[in-house]
Amino acid sequence: MAEAGVETTAHVASGQVIGTALGGDLALAALSLARRFAAGGTMWCLAPAWPEHARHVAVEFVHPVIVGKRALPAVSVIEPDPVAVLRATVRVGDVILAVGAADAPGVAPSLQRASVWGATSIWLGAGPRPRPGVADHVLWIEDPLQTAAHDGRLVLLYHVLWELTHVCLEHPGLLAPDSGPAGGIATCVTCSDEGRMAEVVEVQQSGSAVVRTASGPEHIDTTIVGTVVAGDLVLIHAGSAIAVLEDAGDDE
Amino acid sequence: MSDTGGESTAFLYPFIEGDEREVAPLLTSLEQSAVAKATASAELRAATSARMREQVARLADIMAARFVDGARLFTFGNGGSSTDAASLAELFARPPWGRPLPARSLVDDSAVVTALGNDVGFDLVFSRQLIAYGAPGDIAVGISTSGSSRNVLTAFAEARTRGMITVGLAGYDGGEMAAAPDLQHCLVVRSDSVHRIQETQAGLGFSLWAAIQQRLDDAGG
Repeated sequence: MAEAGVETTAHVASGQVIGTALGGDLALAALSLARRFAAGGTMWCLAPAWPEHARHVAVEFVHPVIVGKRALPAVSVIEPDPVAVLRATVRVGDVILAVGAADAPGVAPSLQRASVWGATSIWLGAGPRPRPGVADHVLWIEDPLQTAAHDGRLVLLYHVLWELTHVCLEHPGLLAPDSGPAGGIATCVTCSDEGRMAEVVEVQQSGSAVVRTASGPEHIDTTIVGTVVAGDLVLIHAGSAIAVLEDAGDDE
Repeated sequence: MSDTGGESTAFLYPFIEGDEREVAPLLTSLEQSAVAKATASAELRAATSARMREQVARLADIMAARFVDGARLFTFGNGGSSTDAASLAELFARPPWGRPLPARSLVDDSAVVTALGNDVGFDLVFSRQLIAYGAPGDIAVGISTSGSSRNVLTAFAEARTRGMITVGLAGYDGGEMAAAPDLQHCLVVRSDSVHRIQETQAGLGFSLWAAIQQRLDDAGG
């Protein structure tokens, strides 16, 4: 029956989207985001497969629908190669928010580098979850039919993030950086405590390179890992690159 | 929401070192607020879809027939609604399943939008594009949470003079769209929260798309 199929689809899409687990994730992400905004950070929004979602998130923060709410610096990054743009633009203390599926091109390499660039990363999406540790905050919903990007559920997710972030901003005493569970410079969950993540900026002769880390540029030795090129992610320890990291789920 | 409206006791305390110990109550109330907002969204969505079942079915019949005849779909709106208009066009043109249909939004080309806004005024940024692109039988879908966006209403008028069919998604009580003579099909999401309206409008757009796909399937070919 023709109507039955439509009915089922509509009902699946109209169920409860946010349970307590996701609600808790949203709370932590909102506090983290509010702290970054309070400290002067900018939020960069990307959604390579769904640019309109990146634009919606950004306009939500820049031009709030509720009169009297602060305009906050959020920018949509609508680029075929978001990594290149973000690398050039993101500053320590910023936030990179991506909307996209776990396999969305360009997302994982951008968020994976966020910690190297000193930025907090938020990944908002649906369907199979991304690999653990790729982003600081993963806000994820079930989506067996792959309709969340189209039926309003992803919109709900970033609307609620906006609403909670503004609640946090009403609590100035809780917005100091590094306080509480959601504060501070993002730490790389990919690295163990034996290494820090860095991004190669410039390869120099005889096995050395300049890399970018969350705490600034460093000169490192690359003889252990062999050839590296600008843009590679490496693990560094005691002034040496000890491993070249593969980009997570992307061939950027 | 009153449960998160700055009533936390932490707010009353001055800045002190131990302040972060008070984060837990805030996080708890944020979590509850997130769940409550999602519940409100789901309830509005269910109520709206029940109220509009017949209207959406009728509209799907009309639009599916137009698509079979070669119609193109144009979507438009402002701000968050512009992005929802773009999402809707993308759903039709690049669907997760079913057949791709000719659809695009009138908000994506900043050269065109700024040229028109600068030269003839922002009220005409969509209607002027319909003059250029629209043909009899095409479909114009405008989205406005207030129902009263001037450039959306102006575009409906232009679309009608060109023999297009006009479809509007509005919020609140429908605003001016509820009584606009040039708007043939007006879907009103009755709420006064812009966020909840937009979420439900997206859901309605999706239901409409799914129903059109179903009809194209049944028609075969």
